Amino acid sequence: MELRIENLSKTYSNGVKALDDVSLTIPTGMFGLLGPNGAGKSTLMRTLATLQDADSGTAILGDLDVLRQKHEVRKILGYLPQEFGVYQKVSAIEMLDHLALLKGVRDGRERKQLVEALLNRVNLYQHRKKALSGFSGGMKQRFGIAQALIGDPRLIIVDEPTAGLDPSERNRFYNLLAEIGENVIVILSTHIVEDVKELCTNMAIINNGRVLYAGAPAAALETLSGKIWRRQIGKGEIEDYQQQFRVISSKLVAGQPIIRIFSPIPPGDGFRAVEPDLEDVFFAQITDSQSNERDEEES
Amino acid sequence: MFTTFFSFEVRYWMRRLMVYVFLAVVTFLVYLATSSDNVQIGGGVDNTFRNAPFVIQNFYAAMSFVMLLMTTAFVNSAATRDFTQDTAGIVFSTPIRKTDYLLGRFLGSVVVAVVPILGVSLGIVLASLIAGAGDPERYTAYNFFAHLNSILVFAVPNTFLIGAIIFAIAIWTRSTIASFVGALALLIGYSLAGGLLQDLDNQTLAMMIDPFGINTYNLVTKYWTASDKNNLSVGLTGWMLANRLLWVGIGTIFLAVSVWRFTFTERTKRGKAKDEEVLSQNYARIPSVQLTDTAATNLSRFWSEVKINFRTIVKSTVFVVIALFAIIDVMVTLYHSTGEGYGISSLPVTYRIIHLLVGSSSLFLIAIITFFSGAMIWREREAKFDEVYDALPFPTWVSFCAKFAALMGIVAILLALDILCGVAFQSLKGFHNFQLGLYARDFFLFQLLFFGFWAILAMLSHTIAPNKYVGYFIFVVVFMVNAFMANYFEFESKMLRFASFANYTYSDFYGIAPYFSQVFWFGLYWFLFCGLLAAITALMWQRGRETHYKNRFRQSFRNFRGTIRNVGIAFLLGFLCIAGWVYYNTLVVNKVEARPERQKKAADYERQFKQYENLPQPRIVDVKYNIELFPERRDLVMRGEEILQNKTDKPIDNVHLNLAVNFETDIELERAALEMNDERLNYRIYTLSPALQPNETIKLNFTVKYSNRGFENDLSQEQIMPNGTFFNSTIAPQIGYQPGTELQERNDRRRQGLPEKELMPRLERDCTTNCMNTYISNNSDWVNVETVISTAADQTAIAPGSLVREWTENGRRYFHYRLDHKALNFYSFLSARYEVAREIVNGVNLEVYYHKGHEWNVPKMMNALRRTYEYATANFGEYKHKQLRIIEFPRVGSFAQAFPGSMPYSESIGFIANLETPDAIDMATYIVAHEIGHQWWAHQVCGANMQGATSLSETLAQYTALMVMEKEYGRDMMRKFLQYEADAYLRGRGGELMKEQPLQTVEADQGYIHYNKGSLVMYYLKEMIGEDKVNAALREIIRNHAYKDAPYPTSYVLTDALRGQTPPEFQYLLKDLFEDITLFANRTIEASAKKRNDGRFDVTIKVLTQKLKADEKGLEQEVPIDDFIEIGAFAAPESSKRYGKTLHRERVKINKPENVFTFTVDELPEKAGIDPFALLVDRQPDDNLKSVSEQ
Repeated sequence: MELRIENLSKTYSNGVKALDDVSLTIPTGMFGLLGPNGAGKSTLMRTLATLQDADSGTAILGDLDVLRQKHEVRKILGYLPQEFGVYQKVSAIEMLDHLALLKGVRDGRERKQLVEALLNRVNLYQHRKKALSGFSGGMKQRFGIAQALIGDPRLIIVDEPTAGLDPSERNRFYNLLAEIGENVIVILSTHIVEDVKELCTNMAIINNGRVLYAGAPAAALETLSGKIWRRQIGKGEIEDYQQQFRVISSKLVAGQPIIRIFSPIPPGDGFRAVEPDLEDVFFAQITDSQSNERDEEES
Repeated sequence: MFTTFFSFEVRYWMRRLMVYVFLAVVTFLVYLATSSDNVQIGGGVDNTFRNAPFVIQNFYAAMSFVMLLMTTAFVNSAATRDFTQDTAGIVFSTPIRKTDYLLGRFLGSVVVAVVPILGVSLGIVLASLIAGAGDPERYTAYNFFAHLNSILVFAVPNTFLIGAIIFAIAIWTRSTIASFVGALALLIGYSLAGGLLQDLDNQTLAMMIDPFGINTYNLVTKYWTASDKNNLSVGLTGWMLANRLLWVGIGTIFLAVSVWRFTFTERTKRGKAKDEEVLSQNYARIPSVQLTDTAATNLSRFWSEVKINFRTIVKSTVFVVIALFAIIDVMVTLYHSTGEGYGISSLPVTYRIIHLLVGSSSLFLIAIITFFSGAMIWREREAKFDEVYDALPFPTWVSFCAKFAALMGIVAILLALDILCGVAFQSLKGFHNFQLGLYARDFFLFQLLFFGFWAILAMLSHTIAPNKYVGYFIFVVVFMVNAFMANYFEFESKMLRFASFANYTYSDFYGIAPYFSQVFWFGLYWFLFCGLLAAITALMWQRGRETHYKNRFRQSFRNFRGTIRNVGIAFLLGFLCIAGWVYYNTLVVNKVEARPERQKKAADYERQFKQYENLPQPRIVDVKYNIELFPERRDLVMRGEEILQNKTDKPIDNVHLNLAVNFETDIELERAALEMNDERLNYRIYTLSPALQPNETIKLNFTVKYSNRGFENDLSQEQIMPNGTFFNSTIAPQIGYQPGTELQERNDRRRQGLPEKELMPRLERDCTTNCMNTYISNNSDWVNVETVISTAADQTAIAPGSLVREWTENGRRYFHYRLDHKALNFYSFLSARYEVAREIVNGVNLEVYYHKGHEWNVPKMMNALRRTYEYATANFGEYKHKQLRIIEFPRVGSFAQAFPGSMPYSESIGFIANLETPDAIDMATYIVAHEIGHQWWAHQVCGANMQGATSLSETLAQYTALMVMEKEYGRDMMRKFLQYEADAYLRGRGGELMKEQPLQTVEADQGYIHYNKGSLVMYYLKEMIGEDKVNAALREIIRNHAYKDAPYPTSYVLTDALRGQTPPEFQYLLKDLFEDITLFANRTIEASAKKRNDGRFDVTIKVLTQKLKADEKGLEQEVPIDDFIEIGAFAAPESSKRYGKTLHRERVKINKPENVFTFTVDELPEKAGIDPFALLVDRQPDDNLKSVSEQ
């Protein structure tokens, strides 16, 4: 089964183009969706999670039309939105049981086993009788994961899932996802490049509603191999470098700016060649798209 | 520092829209209420100027409720702002004094909260300027002091009090909900005070415990006359000042305590659950489950949703608070559920309890529906749970239906609790006929449907709204528009009044049977309409994050398929069919006549036919009826044969007939040709050829038919019922112009361009031409009547006179009645399944016809029948008929009325009076005695249609009743009754629309004069000259005037006869009591007792006396006093009794304003003073007695 997205576009009433002719093919396995905040990731995710309509384009999951056959899609969907809250005064087990029933697990005994297993799995079993509103951020997130796994979903969409988790929790969460993601489609949106590198067999980078890159992470690295250079520069020099080179990122290391640039040929001038990582791919794509836009505007 | 916070607070609000919106709303409301008769706030605007001081103060008083909400909004925000906006840390770490901080905030917000209320003044001033220009006679000059006093009495103290309490609660609990609870508690105080008002004895307490001073104001002004209302305003004096000081004091204490207890330190928050565990390496296998998506699954989903929604509501503070107050309110309402006047209570029969429950619960249920419909629809989105929730594979209707069902569950629980309270109250009162079925249908089912309809509308409002507040706004606007606009545009069809279906008058006689089809079809009509709304709601249901309307509509359109489409179309088609059916029945087969049209008809009638008012017409001398009543289908055919006689000395060539509205009438008049037939106004003119010569007679045959067809918007014919039919002879064609059809109400007349209504002809002595008619009928004198009436086999039909024969034919029962003596042409016909209690005294049948189950007071009524019959025959004169019948009729009317020999008496009064209460006035006896009194006073001697006419009938019937009561309960007990009569009279004159007349020239519609003042006058006169003398005068009247033909007697007959019996020293009374409006202002200022050596007590009282004469507008003038007045003393009442033993009663002559009296009594009195038995009309009755201090 694969999810084919073709020419998906969406413009909000305030004029923001959230999706601009997005076409992607997402096979079984983990799929990383990278992009800065406001890139259109969440719009795409919500559209795939049947919560929003597109202005044009199609999304076909197996033989289901995601945009039209919402009810059918919801049956095989597991969705963890970027932000989600809980009700007051309802306990974890009650809520999960209720959600399982809404999902379609009608048999009471089956549901009980499922709910307990899920709570065990996300280590909330001992807190199952506590009100959700009293949960910490991490606990809430784990509850969110538990609910997304109800009913063997074939399409799992997780939007910025690791936001509230500490590093060790994050790892464990990924392990869980990876385990499940072997046979189903898991779409993982994030702005953390690390996540994708560790988990995903395929990825896409989007910015300003457009797909800048789609493919395997390794292939992306391949394209940049030997073209990324770094050096330490003085404070206030960054503007000069940006004039001369295509600077894809800069960060402070021990208080001194270090820049990385994209250059097919050795730039000299104290630059040292480095192995490209996914972050470079990401920034290279984004800076590339920005410079393209500038060019378009200029021409 | 204080000024910093204060001015910050004021500036903060002045920059905000809220103040101006509130101000505009208040101004607009008051403007409408002032300038239009169709919008009312608080008391109505009647005979007073629209901008009279009284009206201004009333508006300010009524606005206290609005103030409650607004002040809470301002003050609560000021008190909790630093906590809700998390600025507490910043603000409190600065070096400020808490007094400055709190008082600055408080006073700043209170000052701002006063601003919107000033909209009352603004609205009134605007109305006088704009509307007053077009209607100058209803506006008076601008009265500065009325505005100032209102602001000082209501606006400022109430805002301060509300503010202080809310502020204290808010800074203590830091919770908005707790503040609103406080606001509700104040409302309870107000309604408690309102409940206490029911009884005269509690009024002082009521004046003090009302936190808003509204009841205080009502009591201080209760006896105000039109002139007072137009000129005076209540300032900070007397009781008003006392109440205001008390409550401002209470407010200050709240404030002081809250300032004292306040600390800047932040409270520790409740800890979040500790989470040491993390996502583990727990690789427990997640079991595979089977997902189903069948109808059964949906049902389970639905139930689970209902439960979870229901639970969240029930656990919410708002619900607990509202439910708590709802229950408290029900209990308070039930506890104070006295009725019927005279301070007596009714038995807690189920329909009364239901009525009280509906009144009490409606406000709370609407509040719950308003609040929780919003809370539930936005619940997932507010909890930010909507994305998870909306992506689950359940059909949208599950969510909508479950929320609706949960809401209905809440309503159902509250309704059930109300019923529980009602039943508990009944059994507490020892009343065990619970009628649970009636509770279940009339209260539970109908209320549930009614609020269900509103709940759907509320949910639709929230579904189409872009956010919760707009949702609330839409709903409230629709609610208001529905409530106000129906009044404003005066359409009366229930097809346009949302959720309106259960308007009926239940009666034990027929249940709701005659209303059933109307209730059913209108119920179905709104049910289907709401089903349609529900389908739209489900279609428009917000699922997912698509908020753009274009996309939502497209989505809804796309979803319009399958079940939802079928259901929607089914509701639409069903609704259209039923709408057509309802329309056909209520507007084609039957008619809905709006008030303006009815008034226009009455006006046209007057304009076109008034010219015939004094046209000589033949008079009815003999009547034979043949009446066929079909109670089960509510049909009636009345055939009549009347003999008309020309009693004038000139030929008559025209007969004018008025036909009854809603009936089909066929006329067959001898020698007559139809000359004019106005079908709209039901007026016909026949020409007689040849003309009817003096003394000659002709025959008038008529058939009057009523056929109940289909169902109506409102039952137009509540006289003809499946069980308990009661109609009177006025449905027969009436001869000659009928002034009774004219528009009565002053403003209605003005709107129709009619002149002020003519008063009755002026009282004249020895009158002939103006006295040819009684005030009851203008087309007959004393007539003979014979009736054959048939009805259903299981019913008894009653017509005037003795029963000649009774038989059964074709499964129907026939009764033949004949009058034994001529009587006024004014009869009742009744039919129902009656039980009869019967007694024969001197060959006269005394009978009580009653509905089975209503036996409670029948023995009392029987006793009253006998006692009154005996008293009246012994003291007034012979009784000419052979029966005295009390006949119960359904509560479509709540009165008793005397016809010759029979007295229909409503089930809702007397029959359900609770006479077990200690010291209660025996309402059953009183009304029976009054109506029997009419058998002499009206049905033997009937006044000419002239001022003062009713003093011969109503006043003397009252006198009869009083004398029977006195014989039954003793002379000293009469004071309770007289107090209530005085109270009713004083209130009545305050509400007088035209001119207050002295008793001798009373207008026929001035009930407060001929009943209430009449009682006081006759009883006082009897006390002064003695019962024998009064009765001798009355006997003389009967002797001279009973059953005499025209000219009919005037009130001079009464005063002359009384004058003839009155000794010289009391002659002044006849002028004071009958010819003038005389009032007293008696007051006891000191009362003390001193123990004597023989163990008895010398009591000394110092009293002030003032005698006043009032003019027709209520303007009073003091006159010199030279009157006989009583003084006296009472012992303390025994426990559970209201009245103590009389220790002293003495009549003294008073001829100067201040007097001191001393008398000796056997035991220490509790109270002593002047006019202790309330015999005189006293401006301020409650200061006559004073507690006695022992020296």
